[in-house]
Amino acid sequence: MTRNDAISQLLTAMADDSLIQGHRNSEWTGLGPIMEEDIAFSSMAQDKIGHAWALYRTLHENLGGTDPDRFAFLRGEKEYKCCHFVEMPNGEYDFSLMRHFLFDHAEAIRWEQLQQSSFEPLVPLARKLKGEIKYHTLHANAWITQLCRAGEESYARMQSALNTCFPLALGIFEPNPEAEQLLTAEKVYAGEAALRAQWMDRIYNILAVAGLNLPDENEVTPVYGGRKGYHTEYLQPLLDEMGYVFRLDPEAVW
Amino acid sequence: MYGGGYIFDEPNKRQLNEEQLHDDPEKLGEFEARIARGEKIEPGDWMPSEYRRQLIRLIEQHAHSEIIGALPEGTWITRAPGFKRKLALIAKVQDEIGHGQLLYNAAETLGKSREAMINDLLSGKSKYSNVFNYPAETWADVTVIGFLIDAAAIVNQVANAKGSYGPYCRALERICYEESFHLKQGHDAFIELATGTPAQRAMVQDALNRWWQPIMHFFGPPDKNSVHSEKLMQWKVKMASNDDMRNQFLDAYVPKIWDLGLSLPDENLKKDPATGKWAYSDPDWDLFKKVINGGGPCNKERLDVRKWAEEHGRWVRKALMNPTEKTTAPVA
Amino acid sequence: MHNNTSMDNQSLDPRVKRLKLNSSGEPVTVQEGENWNVFEVFHQEKRGAHHEHVGCVHAPSAQLALVFAKEQFGRRKKCVNLWVVRSADILSFDTEDEDMFANNLEKTYRDASGFKVMEKINKFKKSAHDKE
Repeated sequence: MTRNDAISQLLTAMADDSLIQGHRNSEWTGLGPIMEEDIAFSSMAQDKIGHAWALYRTLHENLGGTDPDRFAFLRGEKEYKCCHFVEMPNGEYDFSLMRHFLFDHAEAIRWEQLQQSSFEPLVPLARKLKGEIKYHTLHANAWITQLCRAGEESYARMQSALNTCFPLALGIFEPNPEAEQLLTAEKVYAGEAALRAQWMDRIYNILAVAGLNLPDENEVTPVYGGRKGYHTEYLQPLLDEMGYVFRLDPEAVW
Repeated sequence: MYGGGYIFDEPNKRQLNEEQLHDDPEKLGEFEARIARGEKIEPGDWMPSEYRRQLIRLIEQHAHSEIIGALPEGTWITRAPGFKRKLALIAKVQDEIGHGQLLYNAAETLGKSREAMINDLLSGKSKYSNVFNYPAETWADVTVIGFLIDAAAIVNQVANAKGSYGPYCRALERICYEESFHLKQGHDAFIELATGTPAQRAMVQDALNRWWQPIMHFFGPPDKNSVHSEKLMQWKVKMASNDDMRNQFLDAYVPKIWDLGLSLPDENLKKDPATGKWAYSDPDWDLFKKVINGGGPCNKERLDVRKWAEEHGRWVRKALMNPTEKTTAPVA
Repeated sequence: MHNNTSMDNQSLDPRVKRLKLNSSGEPVTVQEGENWNVFEVFHQEKRGAHHEHVGCVHAPSAQLALVFAKEQFGRRKKCVNLWVVRSADILSFDTEDEDMFANNLEKTYRDASGFKVMEKINKFKKSAHDKE
């Protein structure tokens, strides 16, 4: 494996996570709990899809990847490297909010790291996305803390969503030992274990303010497999849908 | 996107006269003089009760049309082809919700709460534009909606933005600005199909054929059939006649469609060069009435989906409700 | 949005098809106050500019009002900051008191245009010139 192969693996996983998470979140557009939140959540879904697009372009322009649209919309299921967490259907708004909270803090930490990456094309991108991601975590923190202080039902819903989401969220940090060894040695980024530790600290502090109990990370089994191309039953139908128009005529311009 | 063809509540002549008897003639005179001078009416101003009632009805129907209008286009959010189209479509549907938000706020300044308006939508008591009761069957439908229905909406909204009620005009100013993006992106996607492969062209022609009648319905019944109130015109609530707006739309957009070698399913459609007026076959106005009254292909689904959204968002809204706090209307 | 495989609705929207719609026709109602309170929003286009009123948002708290305002009023045009304030906390004059402002434009002693110094200077210069 070369340095560029390892970087491509990292970027593909990041981009696929963002794309599928953004796609899922966009399913709420027009159906949200109140108009103001509908608008905010839709903007963040668009941002996620935009982050994915920027990463696919980086793969295309700097690492010999194929056309971003085709790569994003027309690959076979096994070639996607997203974690299972983002594949899950939206469920109720509690699940969607909790996923947004856990995912976006992980994303924030990853992009903070990449501001110092030795892989130069990522540095300006990391700086550019910083403000958007800051809004995403601000939004998520405000919702989590307010709903947890708003009475028994909403508190119980958020705790239950956290319990469901946590093992899945650990899948964001699924190890990829061979690539990580190369990437940390080359100072591309600090590796999944380091990011996960930072993420645990950060979410713990906010969850504590909200009064939620973070499950013990040693007592849950992280949901892995996505980075190796093994997926949930939910991904293939999502991909069929996402590529539906494109596949009517892959040679046409849409 | 605004659904035109408002169904104005035809003021029952007797009722209007009775209400006007209660309106202070001196205040009514000042109010009408203000409008005649081209000044706007603001929320705290005295206004005739009939003016308030008609405006609430108008703005509320417009707001409902935005949030229901998000549904036919939303049909293709998860299937839009490629990043550019996917992002533009999500952003467009998001704008429709944003327009609904602005319009409900404007209507609230007249004294009806957002909750009451939503309830009247869900119960079927208040209407929205009939055009959104048709299904978006293919990707080409999204391009036809984005291009032609947004274009029709702009004709209508630009007229309404010159109306007399300040908060509605301000909301429309922002809305028209965003609609110009919708029209542009709809046109772009439409052109892509119209200049694309034979299959793409067939797809867009089929969508045009299906949407033409709803588009002709869009501006509402012909002037000869609508007993439209001179009062509403004088008060600048209704700003242009249905036929005039329809003609303006046909004049601007039919040539653009024909230029691309596409056809429209009406043999009688042609412009009289002498008068500048377009001739066309009357669309089926009985069907229009039937769809408005719940008999269209998607009326039930549209309301069922809105009900789903309200029911599943309820716990979120209720959790953060503060029953002790008195709620107020927007100030402007 | 459960992945519901039962064919309980025939929507062409795959998102909607996955929902379990209640099609019984039972009334669904929203309670007064469920859409929270109203906050006015003020938008600052650039540093040094005034914050200008642009509309309002419904929100349960000032914090969420600001979060909502950012996307509803700051997602397109240039924006560097926003203010939110409860609509109930805005104090304004009654519109019929507009007449209190009516004479503003007549009070030319408050306005630069009320002082015609150049006329006097020119007159003085002309008379000085004429004396020469």
